Amino acid sequence: MTQCPTTQGPMPAPATVRTCLRTLAAVAVLAAGLSAPARAEPPAEPPGYRLEPYRAPTPLTVDGVAGVSTGEVERLWRAGAVILLDVLPRPPRPAALPADTVWRDPPHDSIPGAHWLPNVGFGALDAATTRYFLEGLAALTAGNRAAPVVIYCLRDCWMSWNAVKRARAAGYTAVGWYPAGVDGWKEAGLPLVAVEPWHPASPEAN
Amino acid sequence: MTGHCARTASRGTGATRTRMLLALPLGLPLLLAPALSRAAEPADASPAETAAQSPLERTETTWRSIAPDIFPGQPIGAADGLVTLTAPARAEDAALVPLTVALTLPPGDPRRFKAVTVVVDENPSPVAARFAFGPDQKDFALTLRARVNSYSYVRAVAETSDGALHMTKAYVKAAGGCSAPATKDTADSISHLGEMRFRSFAASGRDEAQVQIRHPNFSGLQMDEATRGYTPAWFVREVQITQGGRLLMSMEGGISISEDPTFRFSYRPSAEPVAVRAEDTEGKVFTHTFPGGGS
Repeated sequence: MTQCPTTQGPMPAPATVRTCLRTLAAVAVLAAGLSAPARAEPPAEPPGYRLEPYRAPTPLTVDGVAGVSTGEVERLWRAGAVILLDVLPRPPRPAALPADTVWRDPPHDSIPGAHWLPNVGFGALDAATTRYFLEGLAALTAGNRAAPVVIYCLRDCWMSWNAVKRARAAGYTAVGWYPAGVDGWKEAGLPLVAVEPWHPASPEAN
Repeated sequence: MTGHCARTASRGTGATRTRMLLALPLGLPLLLAPALSRAAEPADASPAETAAQSPLERTETTWRSIAPDIFPGQPIGAADGLVTLTAPARAEDAALVPLTVALTLPPGDPRRFKAVTVVVDENPSPVAARFAFGPDQKDFALTLRARVNSYSYVRAVAETSDGALHMTKAYVKAAGGCSAPATKDTADSISHLGEMRFRSFAASGRDEAQVQIRHPNFSGLQMDEATRGYTPAWFVREVQITQGGRLLMSMEGGISISEDPTFRFSYRPSAEPVAVRAEDTEGKVFTHTFPGGGS
């Protein structure tokens, strides 16, 4: 949680003040949640994909199907009985950067054995990302649309919500949603490892 | 953990969430029944625990991986009192983190400062900016505003006229600065693109001046909610600030410089006008000349 001191720094800016107001509002909401008997009502499912900013509280369900708990995912993972897909986004290197700019993709830790398909959970996908998602699903399930799959990113992250909806719409019939994601996994003391985005195998590699 | 918009993350409790997540999707339970029974056995098949790495170790790992790219073949020495960096331990806005670099050579030291590079280790593009100076710079302070994408060391690496590098660092807890979405202020920056302000603080007894250039300085990591894609990077690449033809300071900047690039720097007012030239990644050039603020 960011902190907003009562005095401004050397260069106060409207955006700073705005963030502080936003932070204070968040603190107020949190405080209200602690004193109230129950957490605020989760939002209802939108009619289609979530198009607004993706870091926000999510509904309890996707297409009316409830999410999967950390305990359930852990059992499936220990049994090797599920294909885990992490859909946290990762922005590509901006095209406008001069060629000599040092670029380092931010590292990402995820569940051991999971496959990372970044950027497939935005509200709308361009053709290349759609193809990447469908190719990834097909390859990782070996074409079995009934294969058990669990999709996640972070808590309060609509990326996984959208991706679950999208995978089901593509005909996959056993797609679970793990809403607590890497946050819930980490809080449960379960291991994480550095992952790299999944890439389709090149034809010559097969 | 990457820092994508982490400042909007909320803190629901895991236990509450777990209780609320009731059932698997329809297709799963049958397939999972064997898995559930097997899970009661000792977890001998579980993956090995990975050695936890502390965040600080991790950031030094990052530095070791990027330093050779930023300063190829150059040994990087200690600060030796020549360079200090002031940064907030915890930033109130990750998209606007004030960083102050102060450069001082002791009396009698024949060297001069040529440049200082500001690095944010954990940003995807770690070099925030390189600032270069005129020929006789012994004593200089500079404040800039930077984006910090996840908890990170921030470094100032000063280069003296003998070619030596002197580094200091500070740890900043901030996240999401590079990917923070554009705001109404951003639209305002675009409508005033390239406008500048120059202000000397001599009247308040400080030998400092501030230059602000209106520009959205898009990082390329911000989502445009209208187009569902990343807003293309578009930022101020170069700035030169001169007075009477002498270079006060120049900057080569990257995507870690905050919206409306703003620099406060050591400045002694004089009658000579101050000229500011900025060029962005689209090749747009902005030039303004201001009274020097002195007589």
